[in-house]
Amino acid sequence: MTDILDISRPFTAYDRPADAETERAVTRFLNAEARTLDREAYQEWLDHFVDEDIHYWMPDMETRNRSDARGPYRHGDSAYFDDTLSELKVRVARFVEPSAWADNPATRHLHLISNIEVYETGDPSLLAVCSAFTNVRNRNETDQDVIHGRREDVLRRHGDDFRLARRRILIVQNVLLSKNLNTFL
Amino acid sequence: MTMCRGSCQGAGRPDMTPVYPTAGSYPDFARLVNRDTAQVDRRVFSDEAVYQAELRQIFARAWLFLAHESQIPGPGDFIRTSMGEDDVIIVRQRDGSVKALLNSCPHRGNRVCMVDAGSKARGFICNYHGWSFGLDGGLRGTDGKVYEKDESFEKAQIGLTPVAQVASYKGLIFGTFDPEAPSLEEFLGDFTFYLDIMLDNEEGGTEFVGGAIRSEIDCNWKFPAENFVGDILHAFWTHQSGAQAILGGGVDLGKRYDELAFQASVYGHGIETNLDKVGNTRTLGYPELVDYVFDLSERARARLGEVRARAIGAVSSATVFPNMSFLPGQNTFRVWHPRGPGKIELVSWTIVNRNAPERIKDLYRKGVMMTFSPGGVFEMDDGENWEYSTRVNQGFVTRQQPLHYALGLGSEDLERNLPGIVHKGSLNDANQRLFYTRWAEFMEHDNWADLQNGATAAPARTRAAAE
Amino acid sequence: MIELCNSTDVVEGEILRRDVDGLPAVALTRHEGQIFVFPDTCPHAEESLSEGWVEDGRVVCGVHFAEFELGSGEVHNRPAGCPNLTFFTCEDRDGKVFARLKEEA
Ligand code: FES
Ligand code: FES
Ligand SMILES: [Fe+2]
Repeated sequence: MTDILDISRPFTAYDRPADAETERAVTRFLNAEARTLDREAYQEWLDHFVDEDIHYWMPDMETRNRSDARGPYRHGDSAYFDDTLSELKVRVARFVEPSAWADNPATRHLHLISNIEVYETGDPSLLAVCSAFTNVRNRNETDQDVIHGRREDVLRRHGDDFRLARRRILIVQNVLLSKNLNTFL
Repeated sequence: MTMCRGSCQGAGRPDMTPVYPTAGSYPDFARLVNRDTAQVDRRVFSDEAVYQAELRQIFARAWLFLAHESQIPGPGDFIRTSMGEDDVIIVRQRDGSVKALLNSCPHRGNRVCMVDAGSKARGFICNYHGWSFGLDGGLRGTDGKVYEKDESFEKAQIGLTPVAQVASYKGLIFGTFDPEAPSLEEFLGDFTFYLDIMLDNEEGGTEFVGGAIRSEIDCNWKFPAENFVGDILHAFWTHQSGAQAILGGGVDLGKRYDELAFQASVYGHGIETNLDKVGNTRTLGYPELVDYVFDLSERARARLGEVRARAIGAVSSATVFPNMSFLPGQNTFRVWHPRGPGKIELVSWTIVNRNAPERIKDLYRKGVMMTFSPGGVFEMDDGENWEYSTRVNQGFVTRQQPLHYALGLGSEDLERNLPGIVHKGSLNDANQRLFYTRWAEFMEHDNWADLQNGATAAPARTRAAAE
Repeated sequence: MIELCNSTDVVEGEILRRDVDGLPAVALTRHEGQIFVFPDTCPHAEESLSEGWVEDGRVVCGVHFAEFELGSGEVHNRPAGCPNLTFFTCEDRDGKVFARLKEEA
């Protein structure tokens, strides 16, 4: 496996920014993805934005002393997501059931994506993409959940388009200030 | 003690002895649970005075789950958790024993340990003025320049207040703030018979997967606790979508439901199970785990007997009163920490057999995440039910309205040779009634003799079955 | 030099405190056979170093965990404002430990 696809490794090399055209294409991709998630089109998301070998990981964020070698998260420990494509499909299968009560009545979703940076990697087919997000979910009358975090994505070029091959999601919350996570980030 | 008035001449030395509050008696609150009509008054979910009484009568007295031994394997390893709303540090001592300490500095009260967990700590230093405490909670020192000359200061008298009693049952560490509380095993009573389904189905016992998932739910803590103590009923409706996604069909209690399924309760702790062998494990979505549990269950027959061997992976759920719950076979393990009458912090872990292959442990980790974590296909739909069951009681008229807890009245099983108060069928409100009966006992009684010999105690007849 | 104790009293890895007439208390330890003598008073906030311990060739103060290298006294894991520790010159002579506790002319 290419190192950069290894979910446990953070990006380190930020010295080869992609050209403006690539950056614009990636931005378009991420914005379209966000819009797809906002309208709960999860099957479309799997079909058009996610690659076969996706590794989608969101660890729990522990509060640890700076001197603690374990750090705030570690792959292999507790996580909110640590999914391959077949596992993402299970989650989507629940979303589309009429009795998915946490989604019926519908939740109002907004994915705000910002701080997008795009870097070339050692593999010309792969791009390292950093972004930050604000995720807002509002339900019923006044139930509102907001999550902020960062994503470290690896996008694979598919012709003129891209597919998500790896996503690390690092949120800023220790205790998730929400009862659930009925969305993808 | 009076504070210094102008001149401090003759001021007494402060008394720094730890304080363990005593219980009272709240018969009016106890009456909110009506055993005759099988009803629970909604004020138990919304009233601030009831909540404060719970902190005193229940959370300051009952044995509460603190940590799994595997989370703090070596000296100086610690985790931070709550007992009710009290913040505590659980720390392994140099001699291998475990201490639990109130996480509040005796100087100005500041929280001393600010992190979730850590390893090989040398002690705990308060960020405010630098008072330093050993792993045993004793004050090691502060600032010799200042305090050496101060006559009121007697280091040996000062420390983090220790949780009055700490004890383990098969890997689970519990603590109580009540020095008078009976032993942990007496508190658990014959329920240990059922705990062993999860904790002792194989040589080597259990461990927790690293880390923890924490989340907040705006509900009263008793809704999730009663849900796990005996509400398999909700699975059909609440979790239809999750079951469809994973199993491609509805929740299935097995073909021999009428013959096998039961609920059992001891001191308000309860389990419901269908003895269908792998129903819970199947919901994790990994056939490899189902094979593993079939095999485990076969091997466990010698150790646990037929009934409990069938329960290892069966559709089932359990709560240890007041606020620790788990799902056998599913292997989620959780505590519902109260945060006011209308809020909880849920902390959940994955429990696995220590001797299970690494691959199996990882599948459990992933399976629990897929089902019983905030993004899991089952847990996803629980929270809103509990939130609105709580929140509607803001309505003055609404909270006067009766609730129905009467499913399975008269279904007690007096024949079956199992420990505890046993009821036929898992689709039953029996365990929930007994959970609230236990709750009422805690409200009513100020002493353990009454607490341990009331309506929720296992009948003597069934005690033999636990031997 | 002042006589402090029998050298057999100084045990590998342990810290021994000695009161000396007219002078602040001193602490002694033995590491890899060699004896070290230093002030018992931690230069950080004047707590007693003999209530700390020795770990990886360093004296660790049990209060705020300042670590001082045996011999050089160089401070690690330094609480704000904590200077290095000054070790005393010492000698193991005929089974007794002697140390130079103050500047002798
Ligand atoms: S409050 Fe802890 S040192 Fe002052
Ligand atoms: S007094 Fe020794 S480190 Fe603070
Ligand atoms: Fe549920």
